[in-house]
Formats: sequence, structure tokens, C-alpha cells
Amino acid sequence: MRWLFPLVLLGLLLAFPPIAAATGLEFYQGLLSKIMIFALAASSLNLILGYGGMVSFGHAAYFGLGAYTVAILMREGVSSGWVIWAAAVGLSALVALLIGAISLRTRGIYFIMITLAFAQMIYYLVVSFKQYGGEDGLRARRPEFGLFELNDTALYYLTLGVLLFSLYLLHRLVHSRFGRVLQAIRENEARALALGYPVFYFQLVAFVLAGAMAGLAGVLMAHYTQYASPNLLAWQQSGHLMMMVILGGVGQFWGGVLGAVVLSVVEEVLQDLTIHWQLGVGLILLLIVLFAPKGLAGLSRRGT
Amino acid sequence: MSLLELKGLSKQFGGLLAVNGCNLQVAAGEVHALIGPNGAGKTTLINLIAGVLPPSQGEVRFQGENITHLPAHARVHRGLARTFQITNLFKNYTVRTNLELAVQARSGSSFRFWQPVAREKHLTEAALAVAEQVGLAARFETVVGRLSHGEQRQLEVALALASKPRLLLLDEPMAGLGAQESERMVGLIAQLRQRHTILLVEHDMGAVFRLAQRISVLVYGQVIASGSPAEIRANPEVHRAYLGDEGGAA
Repeated sequence: MRWLFPLVLLGLLLAFPPIAAATGLEFYQGLLSKIMIFALAASSLNLILGYGGMVSFGHAAYFGLGAYTVAILMREGVSSGWVIWAAAVGLSALVALLIGAISLRTRGIYFIMITLAFAQMIYYLVVSFKQYGGEDGLRARRPEFGLFELNDTALYYLTLGVLLFSLYLLHRLVHSRFGRVLQAIRENEARALALGYPVFYFQLVAFVLAGAMAGLAGVLMAHYTQYASPNLLAWQQSGHLMMMVILGGVGQFWGGVLGAVVLSVVEEVLQDLTIHWQLGVGLILLLIVLFAPKGLAGLSRRGT
Repeated sequence: MSLLELKGLSKQFGGLLAVNGCNLQVAAGEVHALIGPNGAGKTTLINLIAGVLPPSQGEVRFQGENITHLPAHARVHRGLARTFQITNLFKNYTVRTNLELAVQARSGSSFRFWQPVAREKHLTEAALAVAEQVGLAARFETVVGRLSHGEQRQLEVALALASKPRLLLLDEPMAGLGAQESERMVGLIAQLRQRHTILLVEHDMGAVFRLAQRISVLVYGQVIASGSPAEIRANPEVHRAYLGDEGGAA
């Protein structure tokens, strides 16, 4: 019975594109793709924010860099999807390594501020490249994958596959030796150090993995919108991902996914109803923080 | 040869010289007590030995090697384990998880990302063995926050034990314990000294004189005397600086 709900959900997700095509609901297929991309990005943030206790306010940097890698490489004539993916993930990981190696020497509010500062530096750096669109962003054509053509439906399945695979990796990770130590460091850093764990390296490895995963989400976002927008790099985007994690459940395995689904749907619905939709989103977030501090995933008994 | 040797160790916090040219030798197999009035620099000294603080001057040698610049986590792997004066545990975890984490730290690499740690039965077995040793086996599945203060102090010692140390640094293990709990802790340490070298920082003079083979007296960051309990009792300087204030606890 435990597996029934996820299996039905997976079946529905797999069957959705043909149903959407038959019934003219393609819009919702696009919305689902977008939600799954955010679910991936938010889950990657949840690894460091929820499991690692590292409140990074600069997660959009990796998300945006992933998207810009697609746009810039396509513009420069690199058209292999696999090469672009590898480059984007590699670049995000490398940038996360540099930012993490410096930021993780600070704690608390300083860590929040320094990750924010790095992300803002990257934002202004990218915007300053006029040949890559500056503040207007850059068109990002979809690359070639050889095996298949990346149309909207292929992208939907590709996104679903990447999300499921990433969630599987994360699940293994948080239940491994590494994952247990990472959470122990969040619980009590001084104690973890006294037990003989090199705290810094555990945090750094998690930081890099999360950055790489967010970069991959950014790649998918660029494929989805066929456009790399500076907004993907902006601090509001970091806040958006944080809101998803807090809404879904900090340190709860399904927190990132749930938060992405609920926040995206709420935004979609409220945007249709009123131009003051952000007020509604704020109110919902406030209610969650006040009455369900473990987020929506924490409301069910089996949160982890 | 001494297991631990401090040579001219100093620590300055701004204008305050917390530890001032401290020399100390702890021989393998002994229980060496470090006593001194409040603010003498005992906890600072423990932090210098454990590697949590870098010294301003001087040298820490362990098993003949200079470890002055070795980071704290690496010292644990050399066999140096410490407890905290103020209980410092994973409060939201069970006794079992606390101990498993301590065992795991000394049993192979923890940069393993794939296999579920819950399936590593040997960690649980080793954790349970330590729990039995300190008398916490019955509380194995209890969340630490629900343990009594005395039990938490026992777990504090157990976590250090689980890392199979050559030298145990016990920072006031009796802190905040009632008479009965103190008695249990003395019993535990007496049992540990059969197999471990212990540097014991403690205010409870009764416990110190019962447990220690050697005693060093720290006053204003300096070791003013070092010797057997009888020598320390007889030392007039120690009396003036410290024991006398306690109303002749000796």
C-alpha cells in the first residue's frame, strides 16, 4: 500500500503527454515540466539547507549559470546536448566549489550574506556581457541529442527522468554514511568535530553536489523556455527556491518537490485571479511557518 | 616516554593570557588530574590539546610527535578524545545514533555516499558495547533530550570512549551531578583507568584524590606544581593558591 500512491502518480505523469495532446491540455504539460524543474532545483537546495543546515541565499547562481551555459554554448556553435550538459554541470560544480570553499569559513548570518554576495556578483557579471544579451537575456536554442529530438514532449520525459534519477541519488545520499554525518553536523557541529569528522569537507562536498544539481535544473529551464534570463540568477530566484523548501519542508525528503508543486500551482492560480497574487503567496507562507514549521511534508507522519 | 607533553604552551585572548607557558607531561597509563581555581585556564588548556583553539606559543606533543598544528578532527584519529564541561551531544538523536556516529568516525571513511548506513550492523554492535560499558544499554533507543543529566554526562564520556582513544580528556565529568550520580561517575572512571590514559579536569577534590595517580595544579595559566596526590597535599604553595580556599579539602 505504501507504494501505491507513488506508483499511481508516476503512471499519471507518464501517461499525461498523450492525454494532454488528445484533449488540448498542452499548457498543463508545460506547467508540469516547469514544476518538475523547480522540484529538482528546490530539492538540491534542500540538501544543503535542510540536511546540511547551510542557509545558502545564493542558490540561483548555479541555476542561472546552468541556463546561461546552454544559451552561450549554443550561440558559440556547440550544439551537442551531452557536451552542453556536461559543461553546465561541471561549471556549476566548479563555481559551487569556489564559493563554498570561501563561504563555509563563515557561519550564521555571515554565511547567508556571503552566499548572497557571491550570487549577486555573478548576476552583475553575466548582465555586463552585452554580447550575451546583457539585461535582456539570451535566446537558448535547444541542442541536439542525436538519439531523440528535443521537442516539448521529449523535454517533459527528459525532465521527469532527470528528476526521478536525482531524487534516487539524493535518497541514497541522505541515508548513507555521508548523509548521516552531514545531518549530525547540522545538529551539533562542535560535537561532530570532536568525534573526529572533518566538518568543512563534508559541508563542501554537499555544497558542490547541490550546486551541480541546481545547474542541471538550470539547463532544463533553458531548454524549457528556450531562453536564459538574468532573472534566473537574481536574488529573488534564490528566495523563490528557499520559499519552496520552507513551504515543502526543510530537511524533509519530499520537501523540495512538494514546495515546488504547491508554490507553482498557487502562483498560477492566484495570478489568474488578481495582480496582487504575491500577497496571497506571502500569506500562505506565513501560515505554514507559523502552524507547520516542518512544512507540508512534515504534516504527514511519514515525512522523511 | 610521556604520551602527552606540553612545552611552554600559551594562549592569549586579546590582553588576557589564559594559558601562560604551560609545561605538562602525561605518562601512558596514568590518571593525571588537572586542578585549579576557576578561571585558571583549565578548559582553555583542554581546547588547546584537543586542537579546537590554536595556541599563541608553544608545542603540543602526542606519542612523541608534534601535533601543534594538527586540526581537531585529525587528533581524534591519532587517539585523542575529549568530553565537554557543558554537555555537548546530538540532543535530537537517540543514544544509539549518538554512539553509532562516534563509532563510525573511527571505522573507515565516512565519505561513502551509496550504501545505507543503517545496514552496517557492526556500527550498532560496537555502539551497544560502549553503551553497556558505561551503563546506558537500557537507554539505547532513548532520545538524548529525555535522558537525565547524569545519563547525559555518562553518554558524554561514552562518545569519547567510542572513538577508541589512547588519551581521554575529561573536562569536569562531574559537573552538575548530584552525590549519587557523582559516585557512579567516579566508579566509571575508576573502571576506565584500567585501560585508558586519562587527563582529568575536575573540581571535586574527593574524586580527584581517589582517582588520580598524578596531579598538576594550574593557577593563572601556569602549572605551579605537579606530583603524586601526597606531594600535592603537602605542597605549601598549592595550599596557599588553591586547596586552602576549599577549607582544607585535602
